[in-house]
Amino acid sequence: MGGPTDDRMIRVDMTKQVVTVEPFPDEWKLLGGRALSAHILLGECDPTCDPLGPDNLLVMAPGVLAGTSAPTSGRISIGGKSPLTGGIKEANAGGEPGQDLMKLGYRVILVKGRPADPDRRYALEVNSEGARVVGADDYKGYWNYALCEALAKKYSDTTSFISIGPAGEMQLTGASVACSDEKLRPARHAARGGLGAVMGSKGLKYVAIDNEKRPVRQPARKKEFNTLCKAYSKDYLGGPKWPVFKNGTAAVVPVANMLQTFPYKNRVEGQSPDAKTLDGARIIESFEERGGGMHNCMTGCIVRCSNIVHDAEGNYKTSALEFETLTLLGSNCGIASWEDVADLDRLCDELGLDTIETGAAIAIYMDSGAMEFGDAEGAKRILKEIAEGTELGVAIGNGAVAIGKKTKHHRVPAVKGQAIPAWDPRPLKATGVTYCTSPMGADHTAGLIVNPGLPEDQWVQASQEAQMVNAVCDSSGFCQFLQPNLDEIRQFYGHLYGEEVTREQIGDQAWQCLADEWEFNRRAGFTEKDDSMPDCMKQDAIGPAKVVWDVSPDLVRQAYERLEAREELFTMKATG
Amino acid sequence: MPQVCVPPPYQGPTRGLAEIEVRGKTVRECIDAVGSRFPGFRDQIFDPEGKVHGFVQLFVNGDEIGRSALDTPVDAGDRIEILAAIAGG
Repeated sequence: MGGPTDDRMIRVDMTKQVVTVEPFPDEWKLLGGRALSAHILLGECDPTCDPLGPDNLLVMAPGVLAGTSAPTSGRISIGGKSPLTGGIKEANAGGEPGQDLMKLGYRVILVKGRPADPDRRYALEVNSEGARVVGADDYKGYWNYALCEALAKKYSDTTSFISIGPAGEMQLTGASVACSDEKLRPARHAARGGLGAVMGSKGLKYVAIDNEKRPVRQPARKKEFNTLCKAYSKDYLGGPKWPVFKNGTAAVVPVANMLQTFPYKNRVEGQSPDAKTLDGARIIESFEERGGGMHNCMTGCIVRCSNIVHDAEGNYKTSALEFETLTLLGSNCGIASWEDVADLDRLCDELGLDTIETGAAIAIYMDSGAMEFGDAEGAKRILKEIAEGTELGVAIGNGAVAIGKKTKHHRVPAVKGQAIPAWDPRPLKATGVTYCTSPMGADHTAGLIVNPGLPEDQWVQASQEAQMVNAVCDSSGFCQFLQPNLDEIRQFYGHLYGEEVTREQIGDQAWQCLADEWEFNRRAGFTEKDDSMPDCMKQDAIGPAKVVWDVSPDLVRQAYERLEAREELFTMKATG
Repeated sequence: MPQVCVPPPYQGPTRGLAEIEVRGKTVRECIDAVGSRFPGFRDQIFDPEGKVHGFVQLFVNGDEIGRSALDTPVDAGDRIEILAAIAGG
């Protein structure tokens, strides 16, 4: 035994605006992030509740290793019942809040209730002494960047922020939760599933966390833990993994295009003629003349995959411009210029919106005939309309399914109400099994398998294993781009708490996380019908091989039966 | 015979085959040999001008070779690894 002790958890009742701080149960010490969120939600949140009502529980849970010296391990999970899918949701983000909460010894913040006056805004202030709810009406309607600039002046320079923009305040179901990075930019988003709307429904505009320059959390086996950190970092930076990420996810564009998974014009094609102008290489080229560059989004990150994009005048424009954003807001909308996508990305970060959901929604609107594909200025106007609360803006801000209903358009690529990300299930069948069976809906970070040649008899196993590994990764605080495997994660856990964590334990934790989430969804009313791909994925063939989604529902559902653990389960890398 | 290791993203044309033994005296000959057996594979490695794509990295027995070093000699038992620049995101 040993390691971090006296951890606490913060409970916030937004109906009464009161806070209680409780000891964090010792038996939960190996639960963090997604697994902790799932465990608490299943136990404390009525799955049939209104996601935007007082009974929904908003969870903010850093991973187990956050706040330690483990590399790239400070991610924070935001959880709750999703207003987008109607099921359980976990979305995680980098930035500083996860590290700061854990350095203070806070393992989770739980927010329930709802203020009587929906026009009031509040903030939660957290430091080593505890937490308190304060009024924040002055910041009502603030866009995320202006908010963080104002908060930087209000609070000490050791404070980080979790915030929502206007989309969250308007409780739009595509709204994200922003986390500030090292420069206090609200550029890291727990984006998927509309959790920003849940935060908005509770009147919570932001959370300010003052780390008070607290040191990193001390492991039980300090020497072994630090040796492991150094060896792991050396192996990562010296091995073949890092070059893959050193130019950021945007560099994936040409490969994805080649593999027919760079969707074009609301996914009617798998390749885009604009792959060259949307290639992340163009962003890298811009650094020399304009400035910007690659950086780490959180303290202690060795991956440094986040790009900082400047405009033609050399001024900061946005961060990070990711592959998924270039796809959904670029290629999928027929928009050819990465600079236009950078503008749209900035607008989404400002308003607090998921770029995947928003890009998919705009593409559906374009596909319906209401706007030309490629109309970048029109897309920017729509995003600005979201802040103005126009009927169109609200429908786009509510995501793909909402705009599909409004336009009565038939092609709505979504699973469980959530838009399908760039990685396309038609060439990537095992990833499609993930989209159908993940408790999250269509989410590539739940279990991405980029192997178009994988034989059919391996799709279920590949999906289940990827879902298990990613569930643990998203519970650990590690970034998926560090690509840790289960054996590595359990070694870190073991040295942190001074006790062996076996393969059986870590495998069970992975499965229990998924089982908790599936059970929540079952109680929420999900059935087998919710595990299906939309008709457009079954009918719209892409690529020279004319691939469609043609996987039988019976095969898909095999992913719910736990397979015997193979050696490979513990050595395969997290990937998302 | 040298062995070409195909990463998962490029296993579409090889229909899931990950390790393929081929006859060849250089890296180029080995990749061409895989391409001859599996249509579509070559296009994943080379652009229309015959140059290695910028997003592909090649290794021989664990050591990275430059994209233009396709004439690097290989012997029986050597492993040619292809790394695909795949990240999510």
